[in-house]
Order: sequence, then C-alpha cells, then structure tokens
Amino acid sequence: MTQILFHNINKKNLHTLEVYEQEGGYQGLKKAFAREPDEIVEMVKASGLRGRGGAGFPTGLKWSFLAKDVFPRYLCCNADESEPGTCKDRELLLKNPHLLIEGMILCSYACKIETGYIYLRGEFYDLCEIMEGAIEEAYAKGYLGKNILGSGFNLDIHTHLGAGAYICGEESALLNSLEGGRGEPRMKPPFPAVQGLYEKPTVINNVETLCVVPYIVNNGAEKHAAIGTEKSKGTKLVSVSGHVKKPGNYEVVMGTTVREIIYDLAGGIRDDNELKAYIPGGSSVPMVPADQVDTPYDYESLQAIGTMLGSGALIVIDHTVNVVETSLRLASFYMHESCGKCTPCREGTRWMWQLLNQIQTGQGEAAHVDKLVDICDNMSFKCFCPLGDAAVAPVISSIQKFRADYDELIEKLTANPAV
Amino acid sequence: MADDQVTLTIDDQTVSVPKGTKVVDAAKSVGIEIPVFCYHEKLGPLGCCRMCLVEVEKMPKLMTACTMDVGPDMVVKTTTPKVEKAQKGVLEFTLLNHPLDCPVCDKGGECPLQNNTFKYGPGDTRMDFHRAENLKAGPLSPVITLDRERCIACQRCTRYSEVIEQDNALVMHNRGFNNEVGTFNNEPYDTRFSGNVIDICPVGALTNSQFRFKARTWDLTNSDTLCAHCGCNCNMTLGVRTNKFMRIEARPNDLVDDGWICDKARWGYDFLESKNRLVEARTVPDNGTMVFSSPTTQDAAVRTAEAIKKIVDEHGPESVGFIGSPYGTNEELYLYQKLFRLGFGTNNIDHKTYADSPGLPIDHYDVSEIETADLVLVIASDPTEELPILDLRIKKVVTRHGVKLAVLNDQATLMDKYAHLSLRYNIGSDAGVFAALTAAISGEGMADIKTTGIKADQLKSLVEMLRASKKVTLIYNSSALTGQSVAVLKQLMAMIKNIPSIECGAIPAVPHTNAVGAMDMGILPDYYPGGVPVADGEAIQQTWGETAPTQPGLSAMEMIRKAESGELKALLVYRANPVVDFPGGKQVEEALKKLDLLVVHDMFETETAKLAHILLPSNGPGVDDGTTTNIGGRVQFRKGGLKTAHPPDWKIISLMANTVSEEGDGINYITSFSVTDEIAKNVPGYAEISKKSIKKEGMTRVSSASINATGAVSKESSPPKPEALKLRIANYLFAHNTILDATSTLAHHFKPSIVHMHASDAKKLKLKNEDDVVVVSGDTQVSAQVEISNRCNPGGVVLPNISDEQGVWGLANSRDSVTWVEIRKV
Ligand SMILES: Cc1cc2nc3c(=O)[nH]c(=O)nc-3n(C[C@H](O)[C@H](O)[C@H](O)COP(=O)(O)O)c2cc1C
Ligand code: SF4
Ligand code: SF4
Ligand code: SF4
Ligand code: FES
Repeated sequence: MTQILFHNINKKNLHTLEVYEQEGGYQGLKKAFAREPDEIVEMVKASGLRGRGGAGFPTGLKWSFLAKDVFPRYLCCNADESEPGTCKDRELLLKNPHLLIEGMILCSYACKIETGYIYLRGEFYDLCEIMEGAIEEAYAKGYLGKNILGSGFNLDIHTHLGAGAYICGEESALLNSLEGGRGEPRMKPPFPAVQGLYEKPTVINNVETLCVVPYIVNNGAEKHAAIGTEKSKGTKLVSVSGHVKKPGNYEVVMGTTVREIIYDLAGGIRDDNELKAYIPGGSSVPMVPADQVDTPYDYESLQAIGTMLGSGALIVIDHTVNVVETSLRLASFYMHESCGKCTPCREGTRWMWQLLNQIQTGQGEAAHVDKLVDICDNMSFKCFCPLGDAAVAPVISSIQKFRADYDELIEKLTANPAV
Repeated sequence: MADDQVTLTIDDQTVSVPKGTKVVDAAKSVGIEIPVFCYHEKLGPLGCCRMCLVEVEKMPKLMTACTMDVGPDMVVKTTTPKVEKAQKGVLEFTLLNHPLDCPVCDKGGECPLQNNTFKYGPGDTRMDFHRAENLKAGPLSPVITLDRERCIACQRCTRYSEVIEQDNALVMHNRGFNNEVGTFNNEPYDTRFSGNVIDICPVGALTNSQFRFKARTWDLTNSDTLCAHCGCNCNMTLGVRTNKFMRIEARPNDLVDDGWICDKARWGYDFLESKNRLVEARTVPDNGTMVFSSPTTQDAAVRTAEAIKKIVDEHGPESVGFIGSPYGTNEELYLYQKLFRLGFGTNNIDHKTYADSPGLPIDHYDVSEIETADLVLVIASDPTEELPILDLRIKKVVTRHGVKLAVLNDQATLMDKYAHLSLRYNIGSDAGVFAALTAAISGEGMADIKTTGIKADQLKSLVEMLRASKKVTLIYNSSALTGQSVAVLKQLMAMIKNIPSIECGAIPAVPHTNAVGAMDMGILPDYYPGGVPVADGEAIQQTWGETAPTQPGLSAMEMIRKAESGELKALLVYRANPVVDFPGGKQVEEALKKLDLLVVHDMFETETAKLAHILLPSNGPGVDDGTTTNIGGRVQFRKGGLKTAHPPDWKIISLMANTVSEEGDGINYITSFSVTDEIAKNVPGYAEISKKSIKKEGMTRVSSASINATGAVSKESSPPKPEALKLRIANYLFAHNTILDATSTLAHHFKPSIVHMHASDAKKLKLKNEDDVVVVSGDTQVSAQVEISNRCNPGGVVLPNISDEQGVWGLANSRDSVTWVEIRKV
C-alpha cells in the first residue's frame, strides 16, 4: 500500500536532523523557493489535500483565503490532538518532528508567513521537548530563522503547550488560548484567514495535514492526486482502538474499506468476537452498526452512511458491549470538556450524562430515552461550536441504531425494580 | 447613502437598516422582539446564550440573530415552529439548574429570565435531578451580592469589565458546567463602575446589597432624574418606596452617559437620609445677635431678606455678597443672582475661587462629539476621578473607534495608559506650555520651554498630532489650572480655530455638577447670565431694568478678604463650604466670623454652617426639581423623588426676592419650570430650553459669545525656601466629606492621605515610601504618607483631596499662583 507519512516512520533516529536529511528531508525547500509562493498554493490546491484535523476542508483553498496584503500573518499548527481515539499526530511528532517543520516552512513560504506556532496539548510535554530539539537543530542548520537557505525568506517557529482542554483543538479557541485568553471558541465570521491570531490573517492546520505538504512539493500535485478516491485524495492515518487485536496507527489509502482496516491491518476483533459497531472518525461522529463494515474509508463514503471521517480515529466495539456504556463514557468526556460558553452544551452535556448514568445504573425508564432524544434535538446545531453537536453524535446514534441496548437495561429495572 | 442601507424581510415585514446592523436590532427597529440574554448593544455580540435563534432562508441551521449581520434580501423568520421549539429548548437548558427563587429574588418583576420564560418558555421542566447547588448570596464586593446559583453564565458582566471598564477585574473562572463569575484571588470587585453589572445582569445573580430585600420592584416609585455628583449629569432612576430612598439605577442616555453610571451615583445617595441634614431653619444666637426666633422656613426666608436689606440700606449694596454653588440648579442660581442684583443691588456674586470666564473662542462640544473626533486632547483633567463617565467614553473611542488621545497634564492619570501621547508639565507651568503650544501651532516656532518640564520634541509631536487631525475635542479642567492660565489656554483654542483644516471644540471639564450652569446663570461678579459682561450696560438694562448694577462686584476670594477687613457686612452662602473648600483654611473661618450677618442655605451642617447666624434648609437633589447644564452644555431636567414638607429652594429664594421687591413686583412661580421659562426669556443661549424641549434627551444651550481672552504668562514664582515643592491638589472620586460621610455605603473606598513625590525629591529630603510626614504651608499642616512615584515631575508634590478633615485647601493662600509647601518628617 502507498505510504506517504509512515513509509519510514520506524526508522531509527528519524527524529534527528541527520537521519531525516538522509531520508531526503528538507529537499522540498529548494524546490519551493525556486517557485513563487502562489505556485505552491496552487500546487496544494491541485493535489486535492484536505484537512486532516476533522473538517476535511481543502487545504490549498484555505491558504488562498488569507486576507490580501495584510501582514503579519501567522501559521498555527494544531497539535492539540484531544479527540478520543485519536493518536496519529502524536506518532508524527514523536518520530518525525522535522517532517512537520518542513511542512510548516513550505506552508509559511506559500502563504508569506514569518511566524509559526505549534500548539500542543498540555499532556504532550515530552513531545514538546522533542519538537523544540528539532526546531533548534533546524535553526542551527539554517532551515529556520532569517534568510532560509539564502532565499530571503524568514521564519520563526515557537511551541506552545495548552493547559489541558479539548476545546482548544477547535481553531478559534486555540487562538484565544494561544493569546493567553480563555479557551473558548470565537464568533465566526471573522474567520481566522481574515482575523485570526492577534486579529491578523492566520492559517490553522492539523499536524498530519502539514506533514503531507513536503510529499506534494517533492513529488508534484499529480502524484498526490493520483492516490485515493475521486474526491478524497491521498492517504490517511487511522488510529484504530477498541476491541481489535492490534490497535495502533495505520496509514491507509483513502477508500480502503473499514473491513480491511479492522481485519487485515488491526488483526480482527479481540477473542475473535463479533463486531457490533464502529465509530469511524473519533468520538464526535455517529457510530455505525457492523453491517456497514464494508464502507470505504473516505470522506464521501462515510458521509453517505450518515457519519464522518473526522479525525481518523476508528473505535471498534464488539458484541460484548452494551452501547449505553459507550455513550455514557463519551457523554462524561463531553460534559468534562464543554467550555461552558453556550447554554445548550454547558447544561445539555451534563443533563445527558445524568440521564445516561441513571439508565446505566439500572434506574432508567423508557421515557428517559425519549427525553434523551429530544435533548439531543434541542442541542443539535443550536450550540455555539461543533463540540455541542459532537456531544450529541454518539448518544443519538447509539439510540437510533441500538435502541434494544437501552431497552434491555430498562427492562431489567422493570423486571427487578430497585426498592 | 443608499449603498449603506440593507433591505431584508423579517416576519414578512420589509426592513431597511444600515449595513452592519445585527438582525436582532433590525427586528427591534420594526417592533419585532427577538428574545436575548447575552446580547447587549453596548457590549456587542457574543452569541453564547442561544436565546435569539431564528430561521434564515437558505441557511441550514437556525442562526443567532445577535451575531448575524443583516444581508440584502435576507428572509428571517422568528416565529416558526422550529424557532419556537428551539426557544423552549434553550430556556429549558437555561432554567435547568436555576434555583427559581423568584419569590425572594430582587430581580423579580424586572427579570429578563422571568420575562422570556413567560413569553417563550416551556410550561414545565423535565429536569428530575437535584438542581446544582452553589454559592448563595456571597459578597462580590461590599456593595454587590453574588448568587452563583442564579447565574446563567451569559458573560454580560465579565464582558462589561473587559470591554467597557477595560480592566478585566471580573472574569469567568473554570469551564463547562463549573464556569462561574469571579475575581482574581477572590478580591472584592470594587471598581469605580462596578454597579452597572447589576443593571445588565439578566437575572438576580448580581444584586445591589444596599437594596437587597428592601422592596419588590413593582412597589417602587421610580423617578427619572439626574446624578448630582459631577458635571456629567448622568441619567438615572431614583427608586422610592413609602417616601424612603431605595436604590439608584442607570437610565441610558447615549448623548450624556452612554448608558452607564459610576458607583458614586449608585451608592452615593445616602446623604438623602443623612442624620446631618439641616431640617429646619434656625438662628444661632451664640454666633452673635439673634435675628429672630423659632421661625418656619418661610418666615425665616422673609426675615433673612429683611435683615440683608437692612444692611444694604445702612452700608450700601457693596457691603453684602453671595457665594453660590456649582451644585445648585439653574433655577436656584438664576433666582439667587436676580435677588442679589435686583433685590440688593450688588454684583458681589460668585461661585468659585479659580479663574474662568464664560464663553469659548471655539464651539462648546456636547459630550457625544467625542465619538466623532479623531483627536481628543485632555488638558489638566483627570476624568477618572473627576468626571468618571467621561473616562469610559474616552476609553471607548480610543480602543474601539480608533480615536487618538493626547494628554497634557501636570500629574499622571489613568488616561496616560490609553494616550498616544502624554506630556507632563511641571506643576505651575501650565500657562507657559499653552503659550509655547500656541506659538508652535501658529508657526512662530519653538519657544523656550525648558522650565516647563516638557521637551521640545514632545511638544512638536503634539503639534503634529493636532495638525494631522480633522476634528479635535479639547477637554480641559480650568479648576486645575493656576493663575490666569485659562485665558492663555483660550488663546490657544483661538489659534487652533484659525487652522482651516481643523474643526475644533472644547468641553470645559470642571468636575462640579452644574459648573457650566453656574457660569451661564451669571454667578459671577463680572458677568450677568448668558455671559453678558457687566460693562454691557445697555444689554443689561434692557433685560434687567434701570436699577441693575453695572459695576463689577467682588469675587468670592475678595469677599472673604473684605469680610476680614470688615468692609463686607453680610454674606449669604448657598450650598458651598468655603471653610473647607476655599484656599485659606483658618483665615476663611476667621474672616467669616467677622461678618455681621452670615446666612448659610445648605442641606447640611457644614463647617461653614456652624458659623452662621441664620441657617436655611435646602432640599437639594433627590427632592427638588430643577435643571442643570452638563459639561457638554446639555440642559436636562433633574426631577425630585422624595417628598418633603419643606418648601423647595426655588420657592425660598423667590420668597426672599418678593420680600424685598417693590410692592406688586413679586413673582409667584408655580413650579420650577416657571423659573425655567423665565431663564429661557432672560438668559441668552437658553431661549430654546423648556420643559418640553429637554424632556427626552435634554438639549444643548447655545454657548455664550466668546470674550476676547487676555491673560499673560506670569513669571513663575520662586521657592520661598530651597527645599520647598510646588503643590498640586488632586481629586479623588470617593473623598470622605459631607456627601459621603462616615456612614456612607461607599466608605470602603475612603483612602488615607498620601503625598506623591518624585524619587529625586524624596532623595533630597531623605524620605522613603510610607514615611509619615506633614505637608506644611504657613501655619497650616496636612498629615500624609509619602508615596514615591512618577505622578508628577520633580519639584512638585501631588496631594489628593481625600477628605474634608484632611483640609488640603488650607495649604493654599489663593489660586492666583502656585502654592509652595514643605514636607517634614514626623
Ligand atoms: C471541539 C473540536 C476539537 C477539535 N480538535 C482538534 C484537534 O485536536 N486537532 C486538530 O487538528 N483539529 C481539531 N479540530 C478541528 C479544528 O477546528 C480545525 O478545523 C483544524 O485544526 C483545521 O486543520 P485542517 O484543515 O488541517 O484539518 C477540532 C474541532 C472542534 C470543533
Ligand atoms: S458548544 Fe458551546 S459550551 Fe460547548 S464547547 Fe462549544 S462553545 Fe463551549
Ligand atoms: S452574573 Fe449575571 S451578568 Fe454575569 S454571567 Fe451571570 S447571569 Fe450573566
Ligand atoms: S459620572 Fe458623575 S454624573 Fe455620572 S453617575 Fe458618576 S457621579 Fe454621577
Ligand atoms: S442573545 Fe444571541 S446568543 Fe445570546
């Protein structure tokens, strides 16, 4: 299978500049500097690369939206990776930090940016040190700083550790946090491309997204566009977790089926149990029953069955599980992570958790499930940011697809009422 | 213009509004209500409460009307089933953990949460769990109570702190369900403007501790009135129940206060029910000959007038005088000057001890003009302490409208933080700086400004800023200038006016409530009302009759001196306290004691009242009706609220006038507006002022014609002793005085006496921080603690006036020149 990011990921000492260069690292810079910045933007557009952070927005298009002639501009690399199930950025940061730096240099050159930030989740303390070591090496070698490789182009990169909030992965909350404010999302418009960090035009991209850029610059847009499906180009890192024999990160070509990922790459279900359901794109997307396991893993195919590719975290659930517990766990996550800015999410996530907990602990009634459905409806698309919708997704999908699991717990109570 | 208008449809109504208008405001403009919690027009959109969801055609999701700009041909629906379900849902969430203690909540009856729930909410809740518990009724400050259970986390209060006050004293803590309003380290939230959060909190989470549990809001009688504490004249509502003072709230008037009041307005009205109020007329035999005994107020007024008249008959009109107050209403002041000019034949009339004269060589700008200026130049004014609401307005235009701010002062103020250019001149060098600036602007080149403490390049920058501006608003406090420098400042104004590319106006920012009105009403020895100089005999006789005096009278300070020398026999002091507030201290007291007759007409037993032979009670603000003129020249109606059996001041004064007038010449005014009507007739500039014309937003009067300002830069005085320093008396908003007495709700703001000096002077005098010292001038001493800072340039000290007891004005001899003081360690 074609690999863009992971072909050499386990190469010893890849994280050092020396090995990275031996592997052909930083070759993209000279190629890029020989072209006009706009050409690089066009190239990324033509490559079909879409954001790997969750929303799948076309990357080249995003870069072209930057407010014209407003400077300085900023690049923020989103390394907040907090979506439950997701751990792919972590592996890139850990094992191949220079790839990210190269991607950031290329993006900055293309977008005429002279300052970049890597916003890492607070728990990535050790990765931050690795990243800083790599940045230091890059400065020493002239890949960062003033007049990079004599091109006249300057770039500084800084790291910033978050304080442990999932919401700071949302781009505008990330900007607030980076500015030293509360981690709460901002109103849009204005979009970051127009008024982002310090009210200046800002590009925000996921780690994986930026790591693909060197491949495109080195090998050409066509090469990248040739990989994957018609609309989902390239490869995708998938973090497989849950009830599989070999959980971990796998790089797959877009369009590979979920079955192949679970059974061929991740070794199948633990204890050879039956697959019950899977969540394809991190905890924020609807769960899918086992009968749809042959869905191709790409943006369009997953959307067609009512779910999303999201951050590329495939959570596998086997038949031993009652999904009420899954929903409860995720509800507890969202209750904990709601920033509290908007009312439906702040109150709704807690109420949902209260009700699920009641059902899970055997004190539920059928009416509680209907209430949950209606609460989900009252939250859906009515919250300030997508976190509210994300909180709804696992709950509503589990009810829609596995209502029997709820009934089972409730019947237990009816049959055996707690005194 | 049409390009800037956007036409859209809301609930089948066509609406045309300026581009950039939010959908919620567009709807409001045609009477369609979209419910909100977090949105507040002064704070701008946040979008957090989700109460304002509406359907917009072509948009897949419901949209928040408060964050969304109108768009051409947009179709908005606010009452569809989808919207109604969303509103019910949002309200259910909002109320989910709300304690619903409306029956005991102060907000009850005027609570947006109650109102929205009644109108748009579900009839019931489906919440079966125990509601979350949190802090009930904790002190957020000594005057604000916080109930965290009631908070709906709309962030209005914290954004007010961020966007309006701009000091982030109040913030959200924690996240998610646990987010809550609080302060750093749980310190009290006691800023100058903290109380506005009570008004804007859409629930009973932030309540006025003074008003707590005192009354249900629907039992209040609310009187739309003005604040009487400073020259901003902010609009406020006085809530009264069973003729008792209950509370103050803001009553937005964008042209005056931009919707806010300061904490002195909200909690500075304890004086209405102070124990120290003068409640009856008295004569005080101990102070001399008893004039009459146990009178009613009316009786006393008549007898007072007769007593003064007698002295006039015996010693001539120049033997009597009137010291008025920049705190009186236009009506009261108008009547008093009329009484003294026409009844007693004297121009011995004044209200101040600093130099100033009516009229400006440039436009008198309304406060709202600050918004359209591109440069605001603040001169010798400290808005934060003197005219607080002006501070908010300046901060707003500088941070949000891109207006430039330049500051020219002898002391550091909070404005410096916002200023693009801030020049600090030496105390007493004001005239020199103004003259140099005038010369530089006129192109005469740079004068020698070495002694002023300002560098040539700084002055040059200021000139450049001025020259680059299209519209300049000058804000100056003449009561903080020395000697005659206000005249030099007016020459500067005239010079700026000569530059054709600059539109320029000024706001005279004397702190006192009706300082502008006092000048307009002719409480001056050399000007009749409307800025008519006494020399203008023809104009005076036309309006005031043949007998109106046309000789200049004595100024307030001259009256004190003539009292001392025995030439002045009788003095009526109206709501002023010369013993404390005039330069001279003990000397003033001694002089007043020499008078044959001292009449004090006041609300309180002040230090001056203690010397009086006759005391007349004054009702004052909160009780009497009248108009005042704010620093922007805007005349507004200050309504009373509390009822009293005492006649209003204007009645007392007119009774005095009728007593001494020729038979049949007396006027019986029916209400205060009868006096206002006479003002409109007799005072140039006030012709348009009437009950009707000022009803809503007030109305600016026409500023009187500019008088050619002449005033030369006098030579700077030299120190009497080498170690002497120049004194600048500064203002402090919450000074402890008759108005904010020891029992004041704002007592927690009282401050100790501090003398601010430069490190170089402290070093010379071998003083360090917190040293106890006395500030000495002549026989007067004021105790203080040393604070070393850059508050002023070397060679001077700044001494904020923090209380009456402190007695700072006793240090000064007069306002003719700068006062030198010595600092002695104790
Ligand atoms: C609640 C929430 C959490 C998010 N967390 C992350 C994250 O941890 N990492 C990430 O790259 N994007 C995250 N996103 C998506 C970002 O907002 C943004 O779309 C992304 O960083 C853009 O980069 P891309 O275009 O390269 O995908 C999150 C979005 C939401 C709403
Ligand atoms: S949906 Fe609202 S409360 Fe939830 S994270 Fe977003 S802004 Fe915060
Ligand atoms: S205290 Fe009041 S204004 Fe402040 S967030 Fe809570 S509800 Fe809103
Ligand atoms: S600024 Fe002045 S007028 Fe306004 S509320 Fe405060 S004291 Fe009163
Ligand atoms: S009023 Fe619109 S979201 Fe609060």
